[in-house]
Amino acid sequence: MLTRARVLLVFALIVVSLGLAAASLMIGTETVSVHQAWADWRAGMTRYESPSLSILINQRLPRTLAALIAGAGLALVGCGFQALLRNPLATPYTLGVATAGSLGAYIAFVFELGGAFRVLGFSAVEASALLFAWADMTVIYLLASRRARLSPFVLLLAGVTLSMLASSGIMLMRYFASPDRLVMMERWLMGGVDIVGYEAVVALAIGVTPCLLILLAQGGKLDQLGFGHELAAGRGVNVPRLQAVTFLVGSLTTALIVSKVGPIGFVGLIVPHAVRTVTGSRHRVLMPVSLVAGGGFLCFCDIVARKALPGETPIGIVTALLGGPFFLYLLTRRHFTDWQA
Amino acid sequence: MTRCLEADSATFAYEDGLDVFTNVCASVHSGHVTGIVGPNGSGKSTLLRVLCGLLKPQAGHVMLDRKRLSSFSSLERARALAFLPQAVVPIFSLSVFEVVCLGRYPHLGPLRGLRPHDRHVAERCLHDTETVSLRQRDFMTLSGGERQRVLLASILAQEPDVLLLDEPTSALDIHHQVEIFALLRRLARNGYGIAVVTHDLDHAAHFCDTLVLLAPGKGVIASGLPETVLTESLLTTAYAAPIRVAEHPVTGAPLIWAETPEEGNEC
Ligand SMILES: Nc1ncnc2c1ncn2[C@@H]1O[C@H](COP(=O)(O)OP(=O)(O)OP(=O)(O)O)[C@@H](O)[C@H]1O
Ligand SMILES: [Mg+2]
Repeated sequence: MLTRARVLLVFALIVVSLGLAAASLMIGTETVSVHQAWADWRAGMTRYESPSLSILINQRLPRTLAALIAGAGLALVGCGFQALLRNPLATPYTLGVATAGSLGAYIAFVFELGGAFRVLGFSAVEASALLFAWADMTVIYLLASRRARLSPFVLLLAGVTLSMLASSGIMLMRYFASPDRLVMMERWLMGGVDIVGYEAVVALAIGVTPCLLILLAQGGKLDQLGFGHELAAGRGVNVPRLQAVTFLVGSLTTALIVSKVGPIGFVGLIVPHAVRTVTGSRHRVLMPVSLVAGGGFLCFCDIVARKALPGETPIGIVTALLGGPFFLYLLTRRHFTDWQA
Repeated sequence: MTRCLEADSATFAYEDGLDVFTNVCASVHSGHVTGIVGPNGSGKSTLLRVLCGLLKPQAGHVMLDRKRLSSFSSLERARALAFLPQAVVPIFSLSVFEVVCLGRYPHLGPLRGLRPHDRHVAERCLHDTETVSLRQRDFMTLSGGERQRVLLASILAQEPDVLLLDEPTSALDIHHQVEIFALLRRLARNGYGIAVVTHDLDHAAHFCDTLVLLAPGKGVIASGLPETVLTESLLTTAYAAPIRVAEHPVTGAPLIWAETPEEGNEC
C-alpha cells in the first residue's frame, strides 16, 4: 500500500509532468510571448493575424500534444510489455514493432512515395511504417498463439528474430537509397515530434486513446499475471485473453506512435522503472502514473531538444542522452530483487 | 455452503503426451480434507489442475455441486475454488499485505478497488497463517517457507469454499508443517472442502480424512481411508520401491519409510 510520503511523491510527479507540458508550450526555438498571444486573443485577433497566436496554436500546441501522447503511450506499453514478457528489459520495441515500422518508412523513402497520398491523416511514409509494424505484430501473434497461452519466450524470440530481419531489410534499403534520401531516412530514425497543424495529432489521438484506456483497464489482471499464469488463472483471470489484449493493443499503440514520431527510444524502458520506484509495482497505480510521467518526460526532452543546442537536436538523441545516465543511476539506487524469472 | 467437487471418470493427457490418468474419480467435500499422494510425475499436480478447471479433461467431467465446472464463469469458479500452484515465481516486488490482497481479485467490483472489507479479510488471513509480523516485508525477500505461508494466506483471502493446495508445506519446518495441517483441519471443521497434495505420508495419514494414491502412468490406484490406502503392498506398487509401514511407538499413527537399496539387499 502507498504510504503518505509516497502519495505526496506521486502527486508531485504528476504536477511536475503537467508543468513540463505547459512549459513546452512556452519554450521553443522562437520566443513567443504568451502575454502577447493572450492579449491578441482577447483583442479578437485570429491566428492568421497574430504571429504569436499562430505559433502557439499551429506549432506549439500540436507539438506538445504529440509529445504527450507519444510519451504517455510508450510508457504505458512499456509497463504492459514488461509484465507480459516477464522481463525488466522489455520495451514497446522489444517485439520488433519499431524496427519493422522503420523498414516500412525506409521502403517508402526509397520508392519516393513521400507525397504520393494521404489517408486519414497518415502520409505515405507513415502509412507504410504502420503497415509493416502491423505485419510484424501479426506474424508474431500467429507464431506465439499456436498454444493456448502466449509463451513469453516464443514472443521474445520471435520478436527479436523479426527485428533482426527488419534491420537487414533496412540495410538493404540504405544500400539502394540515393544520398539525399539517406539523409531523410537517418533523420526519420532519430524521431521528432515537430508536428504542424492538427490533422496528424488528431489522427494519433483518435487511434491511441482507446488503446490506452484498454491497457489501463488490464492493470489488476497484470498484477495477478505477475505471480504466474496458474495462480492468475485460478483467481479467474482469462490469461490467454489478457495476453492477447496486452500484446495486440500494446503493439498497435506502438505502431501508431512510431509511424507518427519515429522510433523514439528509452521512454518505454525507463519511465516504468522510474515510476515503479515511487509507486511500487501495483499496475493500477503504476500504469496511470507512468502514463502521465511518460508524457511529461517526453515534453521535457522536447524542450531540451529545442533549447539545449543551437538549432534543433532530434528528440530520439535527447531521450537517450538524458534517459541513459538517469537509468544507470536508478540501477545503482534500487536493487532489482524482483524480476528473478 | 456445503460443496462437493468431483472428477467423474476424468481422463487427461497433455498435448503430444500419453494419458497422465484415465477414468479417474476423486472428490472433495465440505468438511473433509482429501490428501493426494504419489511419487514424482504420478499426476498429482495435473489432477489438481483438472479439479480446479485450469485443464479440461479429454473425457469425463469435473462437477461442482452436480453442475459441470465448465458451466461456471471463471470468476464464479474462483469464488468457489482456490488453487495454490506448486511453484509460484513472482516478478514484481510487492509487500506481503499487497500479495494477500491480490487474493481478493474475484470479489472486487468492476473498478477493482479494495474496500475496507477486503482489507479486513486480508488481515484475518495473515493472522490465520501466522504471518502478521511479515505484513510490511517485501515478498521477494522472504524465505521459502515464509513465502509459502503468505501465499496460503492469499489463497484464503479468496474466501473460497474449496481449497486445492499443491504441496503447501514442501518448504516448511516441522513446526509450521504441523501448524498448517492443523489449520487445514480447523478450516475443514468450519466447512471448507480441502484437497492437499503432499509428499509427507505421515502427515497425510494423520491429518487427512481420505487419501487418493496415484502411480505414474496408472492414475489413481487406491482411494479411501488413510489406513486402507497406506499399505505396504499399495505403496510398493505406487513407488515401485520397497516401502515399509509400521506403527509409531509413541503416537500409534502409521509410520512410513522407504527402504534404502542396501537395507533391501540385507533382508
Ligand atoms: N505442461 C506439461 N506438458 C507436458 N507434460 C507434462 C506437463 N506437466 C506435467 N507433465 C507430465 O505429466 C506427468 C504428471 O505430472 P505432474 O506434474 O502432475 O506430477 P506430480 O505428481 O505433481 O509430480 P511431483 O510430485 O514431482 O510434483 C509427468 O510425467 C509430467 O512429465
Ligand atoms: Mg506436482
